[in-house]
Amino acid sequence: MGLSIAVNLSKHQRKMKILIVEDNLKLLEAITEALEGESFVCETSKDFTTADEKVYLYKYDILIVDINLPDGTGLDLIKEVKKQHQDTGIIVISARNSLTNKLEGLELGADDYMTKPFDMAELVARVKALLRRRNYAGSNTLSFGGISLNTDTREVTVGREKVDLTKSEYAILLFFFSNPKRVLTRESIAEHIWGDNMDLADSFDFIYSHIKNIRKKITAAGAQDPLKVVYGVGYKLNIR
Amino acid sequence: MKLIKRTYFLTALWLLPVMIIGSIFCFEIIEYIAYEETDEFLTYEMDRLINYHQENKALPEFHKVADILPGVAYDAPLFRDTMLLEPGDNEMVPNRELRFTIIHNEEPFTIVLRHLLLGRDDVMEGTFLIILGLMLLVALFVVLILNQVTTKIWQPFYQTLGSLKAFKIGSDIPQFPSTEIDEFKTLNTTLEQLLKKMTDDFHHNKEFNENASHELQTHLAIIRANTEKLLNKASDEETSMIELQKIYTASNRLTQVQKSLLLLSKINNEEYSNPTDVDLEKLLDHYLGFYEEALQLRGITVKKNLQRCVVHMDQGLAEILINNLLKNAVKHNVQDGYLSIQLSTHALEIENSGLPFTGKTNKLFERFSKGENGNIGIGLAIVKQICELYQYAIRYELPQANSHKIILQFNPKRK
Repeated sequence: MGLSIAVNLSKHQRKMKILIVEDNLKLLEAITEALEGESFVCETSKDFTTADEKVYLYKYDILIVDINLPDGTGLDLIKEVKKQHQDTGIIVISARNSLTNKLEGLELGADDYMTKPFDMAELVARVKALLRRRNYAGSNTLSFGGISLNTDTREVTVGREKVDLTKSEYAILLFFFSNPKRVLTRESIAEHIWGDNMDLADSFDFIYSHIKNIRKKITAAGAQDPLKVVYGVGYKLNIR
Repeated sequence: MKLIKRTYFLTALWLLPVMIIGSIFCFEIIEYIAYEETDEFLTYEMDRLINYHQENKALPEFHKVADILPGVAYDAPLFRDTMLLEPGDNEMVPNRELRFTIIHNEEPFTIVLRHLLLGRDDVMEGTFLIILGLMLLVALFVVLILNQVTTKIWQPFYQTLGSLKAFKIGSDIPQFPSTEIDEFKTLNTTLEQLLKKMTDDFHHNKEFNENASHELQTHLAIIRANTEKLLNKASDEETSMIELQKIYTASNRLTQVQKSLLLLSKINNEEYSNPTDVDLEKLLDHYLGFYEEALQLRGITVKKNLQRCVVHMDQGLAEILINNLLKNAVKHNVQDGYLSIQLSTHALEIENSGLPFTGKTNKLFERFSKGENGNIGIGLAIVKQICELYQYAIRYELPQANSHKIILQFNPKRK
């Protein structure tokens, strides 16, 4: 059992390489730390010029780029990356919650768009989802504690038994599997499944019901309860 | 009323006294001339007769004068008006009479001369016809001149008006036509300055919003990221966990508020101005699907009666409008409550069960107005802002103590 979530990485010899371009050093640090914690190799750049150089010199699996840079726009960087390495995955992070920026970014070939501020758990989940979509991870099955989650078929199995989860329950379980070492706050989970509508009244009650259902269904299928309560805050994947 | 119509109307109004005064004036002049001429004629006649008498020492023959009155004497010749029966028409006609005395054989004889005058009614009729003809001519020319002048002189004004109408805030300031007329020049330069100020303010405001949001969101991101990090490190110490959770929740809440405020200011600035035909029925169905799970979990019964309703508005705003209304109805609902949605071609009614609203209903659409269960929040303020932008009427009703109803009426005429 244990940390078999790491199969994704260990099966592949090469560690995933990520370039993070963000002009705010503190945020850059936080992102780097979060991603390095997931055993990604991170390189950083705080402006357009150095990022542009790096993109020209090296090949990255994923580029995380802020749109507003002191000496240029992230959109130009996306163009450059698309020219150099077609298959680099791109995640745009922007403080401007503007639809045009989002559309422009996605049109240029970005794979995902996140508005600041975001949770690191969310960023990690999106990076991993992007890697799976790009098929870097090889296997599309995440397994933990005897529970297997296939991201292609969106099926969850315990041993040979299929666990029938609703859409949200599946999304929450995948969110946990993507952040095995992390405490996931209730807010973070709510935002993950409801996005901007996370402020629904009782959204925490909903989260609670979902968690309860996941536990019930998985234990009924014969696996151990995979989720641990972190008092007053949220939940964490149960690593023993 | 159009400028030209108004001008015509006022001109016509002013022509009326001109016509009346002109008529009286004209009448008096004709009368005066008629008298003058008749009197002159009669005087000549008198002079002729006096001369004749002096030369021939004989009275004029009877049929050449109107009357000869023997034994009547006047000191001076006397003019007077008199009415005489005209035997032909059998009506009284005005005559001018001149009486003068000549001494014949030391006997006074008063000779009466008469001449037919123009009848007053005839003069009046003539005057009226003359004035009428003149006025018609004047009116015709006034129309022609005004038309010519208005289209020519007011041309720059109408051009300015046209470009002003087409002006949209945030777009380039229109180039107003150059003109020789001082007033229009002033108008154009004043307008240009005003529009420039407005556009500058608009851009500054927009820039400020963007910068503020950029700065705020970046730093909020740092707070969140680091709180998250601490939460992960400190998962064993319960007390610090709770404190960290408070920071985390506050920063989360701040994010939401900041996003909503930014959205409000963007709507205010009309940054969403890409109107298309939006099918609200589809949109409602789509967003209802989104809340399906929440509705199920709380056991809320959904009653819906949707007709096809197409409105002309920005797609993004329509989505925000529908989503916020539905979210509000789900959020403030109660366990095992209900949600009823009625959509007709011109109105949308959303009714939901909920806790009684204790505040003032007119405060409901204000930012951060509070109900008993805390913050009602900013969602309905955004709804109201969108309604104001498109001039939709929005109303809040309490059909029963435990239910809330929001009625939104679209104005189908507005493009």
